[in-house]
Amino acid sequence: MSEPVIEFEGVSHWYGDTVAVADVSFMVEPGVTGLLGHNGAGKSTALKLCGGFVTPRSGNVRVFGVDPRRDPAVYRRIGIVPDDSPPWPFLSAVDVVAMCATLRGVENPRAAAEQALDDVDLSDVAGRTVGGFSHGMRQRVKLAQALVHGPDLLLLDEPLNGLDPAQRRQVVDRLRSLGEQGKTVIISSHVLHEVDRTAARVLVLVNGHLVADGETLEIRTLISDRPRSVRLAAADDGRSLARELVSAGVVDAVRFEDGELVVETADIERFSRVLPAVAQSTDTRLERVEPVGDDLESVYAYLHERARARAR
Amino acid sequence: MNGILVRLTVRALLLQRRSLALAALAAAPLLMSFVFAVGARAGANHRLFYSTLVQQLFLPIVAALVALVVGVSALGDEREDGTVLYLVATPVPRLVLVGSAIAAAWITAMVLLVPSLLLSAVLALGHRLTAGDLLWPLLGTALACLAYCSASAWLSLRVRRPVVIGVLYILLWEGSIATFAASASKLSIAAYGRALVAQALPQANPPVAGPVASFIVLSVVVAGACWLGARLLSRVELP
Repeated sequence: MSEPVIEFEGVSHWYGDTVAVADVSFMVEPGVTGLLGHNGAGKSTALKLCGGFVTPRSGNVRVFGVDPRRDPAVYRRIGIVPDDSPPWPFLSAVDVVAMCATLRGVENPRAAAEQALDDVDLSDVAGRTVGGFSHGMRQRVKLAQALVHGPDLLLLDEPLNGLDPAQRRQVVDRLRSLGEQGKTVIISSHVLHEVDRTAARVLVLVNGHLVADGETLEIRTLISDRPRSVRLAAADDGRSLARELVSAGVVDAVRFEDGELVVETADIERFSRVLPAVAQSTDTRLERVEPVGDDLESVYAYLHERARARAR
Repeated sequence: MNGILVRLTVRALLLQRRSLALAALAAAPLLMSFVFAVGARAGANHRLFYSTLVQQLFLPIVAALVALVVGVSALGDEREDGTVLYLVATPVPRLVLVGSAIAAAWITAMVLLVPSLLLSAVLALGHRLTAGDLLWPLLGTALACLAYCSASAWLSLRVRRPVVIGVLYILLWEGSIATFAASASKLSIAAYGRALVAQALPQANPPVAGPVASFIVLSVVVAGACWLGARLLSRVELP
């Protein structure tokens, strides 16, 4: 097992009455790790804690074995893409990246900056001031400044925001290749499939709590296997359909809401296979079948509840 | 101090729209000197006018306000717009980051203030002008500004409304109480600046300290603010 690059040990942080990160512990090793969670889940705070921009109210954060707030030399090995902070608007892209390279001790900062901008496909506008850039171009400048000194650890807060699909693909490929080279990349996102394509491992934060931590495939399975609710609108009152679904053992609970049947099932695959046959056998004409609570918030809420139940 | 950071911050400070307002404020003593030079009657005390202008308006009000605003902006604006993250995420020691911001604020303040100070001297004193009349006020302004910039930069990391607190200090304490009350002036940055100016120009009250002591006190303020600012920068929450 390789040495952990980042160690979170019982870390909590809050802003006034709002808990941002609650007693979170994890370790991150080389490779790409996704930090997943809804907006306000604590992802940015967790990344700021990793970057040493915030002091935890309790617990310890160590990056390459040290506290970055006490030992700034460690920033030679770290590249950071903050979420909301565009670089100086009056500087050209190449000046921004070259300046960051110089401050991080790169030997030939100008050449390194030009290379980094080329890597993010901005070489043709390198001399233009950042203030005139689109959001996507500014994101790529931020990425270039984070990559320019060849860091061992990249902390990326929603780096794909504002990028078009081709640029996303390019950045994802680049991050994946960095992970394969043994670099450590942490990429935060609130969209699962964004992280899915990049990261081998995922940490899921909900309301500041770490609710899932594992291989991306495991988390995906966990999410797709969760209990679901389905709303069925039948032409009749749906009572015979409800009775048969319960008898068939494919639903755990049924209820009627506004004259429509809502069923809960732990196995959505089986339910989908059985439903047409049961509807046919009960002579029920289904007008509409739609999942309830299939949005990301519901997924996160489920993971949160599951983590709380496991903790009990 | 880091030259790249100083140049970057000076550029950021001078490109702000508020620099125009600060330049107008800095030009106020120049305008007064011009009016005095044009309207002065025979026998008017040019030296007294210039001395009063420098010691009761330029140093404790104009220079103090200009230095406060640029000192607060040097780190405060970067903290507010998030660009400070790009600087903090480097191996550059925090003392160097803070020292560079203070140096940049000081350079910006001097760019805005020195032309007004020198031209005011030329207009107010005319052929009576000596090298001392230029150098001592320049030295007093330069050191007082450095102290104001340092204290303001520290304030920008320490409190939420640094400009309000700074303005209250400058107008209530420096601008009124400490200008006239000898004992209160010991806790006034401007008073030590005035003590240096007094080497060349007459002062209504005796100087709060000699030139060497004033130099030492102002240096201690600068060093203390730098050190405290660096400590705060590694503890304060960044955007």
